[in-house]
Amino acid sequence: MVAIIDYGMGNVASVQKALHFLKIDSKVTSNYEDINNSKYIILPGVGSFRQAMENLEKRKLVSFLKEKVEEGKPFLGICLGMQLLAERGHEDGLTAGLGFIEGDVIIIPKTDLPVPHIGWNNITIKIPQYFDNLKDNNFYFVHSYFFNAKNINDISATVKYGNDLVAVVQKNNVLGTQFHPEKSQTSGLQVLKNFIDAYA
Amino acid sequence: MLKIRVIPTLSFNGFALVKTKQFENPRMVGNPTQVARVYNSRNVDELVFVDIFASKQKRKINLAVVKQVINECFMPVTIGGGVDSIDDINNLLKIGADKVVLKSVALKNPNFIREAVKIFGSQCIVVSVDVKSVNNEYKVHHYDSEINRSAIEFIKEMEDLGAGELFVNDVKNDGMMNGFDVELFSILCRNIKIPVIASGGAGKPEHFSDLLEKVNVTGVAGASIFHYTQFTPFDIKYAINQINLPVRLFDYHLSEGVNK
Repeated sequence: MVAIIDYGMGNVASVQKALHFLKIDSKVTSNYEDINNSKYIILPGVGSFRQAMENLEKRKLVSFLKEKVEEGKPFLGICLGMQLLAERGHEDGLTAGLGFIEGDVIIIPKTDLPVPHIGWNNITIKIPQYFDNLKDNNFYFVHSYFFNAKNINDISATVKYGNDLVAVVQKNNVLGTQFHPEKSQTSGLQVLKNFIDAYA
Repeated sequence: MLKIRVIPTLSFNGFALVKTKQFENPRMVGNPTQVARVYNSRNVDELVFVDIFASKQKRKINLAVVKQVINECFMPVTIGGGVDSIDDINNLLKIGADKVVLKSVALKNPNFIREAVKIFGSQCIVVSVDVKSVNNEYKVHHYDSEINRSAIEFIKEMEDLGAGELFVNDVKNDGMMNGFDVELFSILCRNIKIPVIASGGAGKPEHFSDLLEKVNVTGVAGASIFHYTQFTPFDIKYAINQINLPVRLFDYHLSEGVNK
């Protein structure tokens, strides 16, 4: 069972649909007992960093999720859910994040390319652990901010958009993808499957 | 490298998919769920699904149908039609929409764009604008003829308010399949920093490469070309790839062969 955290921030339905397609049970929930009974936690998210942390706080999930990660539950953050893994977010003022992985979420540096970064882009894989059996390394991105991870060892993939931006972070039992695996067709579904399989 | 997106647009009348010509004479062209299923199997980059009569008929897009469409899709889906409140956006995101298209509300209450961006982030707010040349000036076209605005000014205002993307429709070439108006898009995109999807006029794959050779847009949309010709989104990507621009191509596409 996968607990998909419901905190009023976006695309829970798509994540659940993708898991359903992979024949993996999931529940959209913010309930402690459900989360305790799940083997995995997925934190999706669309919206602003500040609003997301406020919503998690309101549901008393911030310290609870920290506890679960420390216990070793596999945790996947997607898009904004990945950015929330950081120590701090700089969107709409400065906000403390979940702090699972060191670094800051900052705006994509200005180049001559449009921001937000929207569309399919290929990633460069640094740590292959979650990228087995990919037929294609294009994934769907949609974001204006990115996770400027502090330690190079926490960065498992980057994406080129003007500069190299962090596309995937990982540390112990925590994985975070800036792209949307649930929206990235076969490649995305494969990454979700790899995450589940890694702890099966 | 970021790929250029080739986006089928599904326009809906509340009952069936329709295709207009110059925004008139909607002709029924199919069932949205079936069409979405085909596009998903073809691995298209994104789907835009818009109820083109919702605002005019003062109703909302049918969420049950949207849900069926989204359920077919493992790619991004952008939804529009009568969206004019935070609740409307919430309802669409909740059932799996990735982005929402705002049009009438952007003209009538521009500050709503700012409010929506603050809550949902600019990446999920797409502003659609229908453009028509009137007395040699690009104007915003709207069923409410009271609205008289310069398209260039309106687009700039939307960018300043935080819109994440622009969906630009060329009214005169809608459904005509004779090619894009390259000049229109190059003038409208000139000082715009946010991503633009160009729509209106495509009838064959070369029309897309002709546009992209001259205008720097990040997405191109088509409808009639998919409803009425043998060409698939892959054929278009193949043509774009021929002028050395980045697209997502798959080996199985190439082995199926290219329609020319």
